[in-house]
Amino acid sequence: MERKGNSGLLNAVVLLITAVCVYGVGRYANSLSAQVSSAFVAYGFAVALVSWFQMRLEERERLERMEYDELTKARSTSALFNEGTDAFPAGRSREQFERYFVPGITIALLLAQGIGAWLLWQWLQQPGKPALKQPAVALSIFGVLFLLLFLLGRFSAGVARIRNDRLLRPGANHLLLSAYACAVAMLTIVAALAKFPRVDYFVAAAGAVLLGLIAFETLMGLILELYRPRVKGKQTRLLYESRLVGLLSHPEGLFSTAAHVLDYQFGFKVSETSFYRFVERNFPRFLLAQLAVLLLSSCFVFIEAGEAGLLERFGRPVAKRDVLKPGMHLKWFWPVDRVQRFRTDEIQTFNVGFVHQEEGDHHDQRPEADTVLWTVRHYQEEFNLLVASREPGATTNTVEGKRIPPVSLLSVSIPVQFQISDVKKWAYKHMKPAKLLEDIGTREVVRYLVGVDLLEIMSTGRFKAAEELRQRIQTRADAEDLGVKIVFLGLQDIHPPVSVAGAYEEVIGATQKREAERLKAQTDAVATNSWSLAEALQRRRNAEAASTSRAVGAAARAAQFTNQIPAFKASPTVYSHLAYAQALSRYSAGTRKLVMTGTNSHDVILLNLEDRIRAGDILNVPMPAAPAPR
Amino acid sequence: MKRNPITITIGLLLLFIFGLLLIFFQVRTTEVAMVTTFGKPTRPVTEPGAYVKWPWPIQQVYKFDKRIQNFESKFEQVFTADGHSLLIKVYAGWNIAQPQVFFPKFGDSVVRLEEALSGLARSAYSGVVGTHPFSDFISTDEKQLKFEQIEQEVLQRIQKDVQANGYGVEVKFVGIKRIGLPESVTKLVFERMQAERQLQVRQIESAGQREASDIRSAANLASANVLSEADAQATQIRGEGDRLAAASLQVFEQEPELGKFLMQLRALEDFLKERTTLILDTQTFPLNLLNGGPSTAPTAPKISSNTTNE
Repeated sequence: MERKGNSGLLNAVVLLITAVCVYGVGRYANSLSAQVSSAFVAYGFAVALVSWFQMRLEERERLERMEYDELTKARSTSALFNEGTDAFPAGRSREQFERYFVPGITIALLLAQGIGAWLLWQWLQQPGKPALKQPAVALSIFGVLFLLLFLLGRFSAGVARIRNDRLLRPGANHLLLSAYACAVAMLTIVAALAKFPRVDYFVAAAGAVLLGLIAFETLMGLILELYRPRVKGKQTRLLYESRLVGLLSHPEGLFSTAAHVLDYQFGFKVSETSFYRFVERNFPRFLLAQLAVLLLSSCFVFIEAGEAGLLERFGRPVAKRDVLKPGMHLKWFWPVDRVQRFRTDEIQTFNVGFVHQEEGDHHDQRPEADTVLWTVRHYQEEFNLLVASREPGATTNTVEGKRIPPVSLLSVSIPVQFQISDVKKWAYKHMKPAKLLEDIGTREVVRYLVGVDLLEIMSTGRFKAAEELRQRIQTRADAEDLGVKIVFLGLQDIHPPVSVAGAYEEVIGATQKREAERLKAQTDAVATNSWSLAEALQRRRNAEAASTSRAVGAAARAAQFTNQIPAFKASPTVYSHLAYAQALSRYSAGTRKLVMTGTNSHDVILLNLEDRIRAGDILNVPMPAAPAPR
Repeated sequence: MKRNPITITIGLLLLFIFGLLLIFFQVRTTEVAMVTTFGKPTRPVTEPGAYVKWPWPIQQVYKFDKRIQNFESKFEQVFTADGHSLLIKVYAGWNIAQPQVFFPKFGDSVVRLEEALSGLARSAYSGVVGTHPFSDFISTDEKQLKFEQIEQEVLQRIQKDVQANGYGVEVKFVGIKRIGLPESVTKLVFERMQAERQLQVRQIESAGQREASDIRSAANLASANVLSEADAQATQIRGEGDRLAAASLQVFEQEPELGKFLMQLRALEDFLKERTTLILDTQTFPLNLLNGGPSTAPTAPKISSNTTNE
């Protein structure tokens, strides 16, 4: 049994060394599948190490049991050796190991498998993988590793089978799986040499998926272990041993593995049922029939609505059937006939002048704004296009001693929509027709802008420019036999670059300010004109009134005078006194009067206390001299 | 062991198909191929169809896409003939015309060919751009632009170099995809564009102020004209009133003294209309009554009649 433990340790050590070698050679030769294979070998090393440790515990328990049996025979009556819980520490250790450590290490393996599969997948999706190098060196090393692992694996598997040793089996399976992984890595290198370099990527991706499947299997094993019927005396299955690995390392034992799984899980001999035996007996036929059906299915092709198919026989377009319209079509099986599909009715779009968020880094995505402003970037990446300028001073300006070209810059976002109009031209003339069309579109936009005025294209010339550009792109695409129809070109998003857009908005603001100033002045002018007209009218009417008053008054006074003459002639003195007295009393009624008397005793002073009398009015009046006494 | 003949038939059929795959190869209508025998190029295949070959490793088939492929240069800084600095990016279309020439030089690597083409293209466009002034690239005058001519010159230069080097490919077209300015110049262009806008802002605002001033001054002028005209008319109207009033003066000639007296009284009336303080002594009529009764002779104005009582 000591040899068995050594075999387990040997397996673990070989797997460790192999993992390092496969990874190192994979990195050196830039082989993706080899680097992914190293993950499987490393996983095998972990499993082999755990099984070796468990092997040692079982060996210790076995020796302990033997010692106990020997002692029991020698001192059968001694009470010191009664069988109890403390009598078998090694057995208890093994039990504790299987109860706690094995599920724990299985969960750890599950996490490692899952995370490893995810990381490998992510790594494989990263672009810029270098090309294969030193294939001969890699082939030779992998060849040696394959031979070594295969021989050792077969030997260990044989020993495990002969001794019915369940603990040696996982390591043996992983040795064989590692051997096959090395063989697959060799095949991918051969494929790369045979001009199929993508095989390496696909195999590596399949390896990552397989690791994920093993993780899923481990998870399911942990769950099913909870519900498995416990049969007393039946050995429990190793939780960390993968049936999938066992299947891959022993592909010849597919049915026996499946039968063991079913028997183990259901607790009775499923593999002895008639249905199971029927399936096992006719499996090769099923497989061949499946392949035949697969081949026959390639004789039918269904072209969906909006699509067109190009039918080729041995690489040549089939006469009179070269373009397949929507519907079902018959063709020779693969690889005699092949069909390429194209969505001819679909409106496809490419963009000139910007990179749409969906095409760029998804981490930089921002919520789409409802308001589109010049001063805010619309897309993840906008590049400025040169445009000619007719503005005065734009030709030979000098700023800080550097010559400025007579150009302006414009931020342009132009979506161009097109349809495939001739699928044969689209498919056969150019390798990347969509890319060429984008190049042509960009070229025509650049060509157009360098010959037009900035302000013109931003304002009045927009529709004209859109139509002109559409026609130019169509003409150029036709010249290159692209087989497309340009259906729409949008110039809705032409504006000054973000950094100068504010200055353009100020111009618009100044225009509004100018208009406001003009309107205010017009308001003032209207007021001035109205006032002057009213004032003029008032002055004229005042003059008319004065004139009329003067004329009428004069006539009235003349008439009055005529009537006064008889009275005056009757008594000139009395009439004059009368007129004077009447006038004085009438006209002075509203005046303030101060009467100065000759003596103080007879002074009569009339004071209107409601009025304020200035001091000067009285004090400055000279008092009359008092009359002399009689 | 007894075998089902159907199984054997299907198996043989599949075996036959897979066997065919080993000795047949297809060249599609979009491809050309080069067959090598023990690594030596022996047979170019330029027409589509199915062909026979010895199985690997005796013969090996290298297939190339014969459609026009795109090549795009970097956005590179170059100088024009008049010393302007430009960034330029070109695209080109090429295809493999002679696989037997292409294969020995580049193997099956299109990447290596594109690296070689990149060098030729850079040399071509930097040389051609250097012979043209800036206005050949950008101008509002269509006659000055030589965009297509520059593209043709670059194409001819690349074609000439490709032919001279015997790449086995044909360069079909060249287009200028982008033109730009270096970052430092771009900043200066932005400054100039902003300065132009500021100039425009000032022009517009000044024009607005001038227009407002024009409107106000015109309104003031019109107002002054209207008022002046009104004043003149008012003067005329008042003169007419004076003329009409003067016609009644002849009536006063019947008793001139009385007329003068009455006019004095009217003047006194006008004089006393405003706020007036009268300081009167007791000698003034009729205050002379304060001095002792009606015996005092009045000091009323004395006027004489020039008329005679009938």
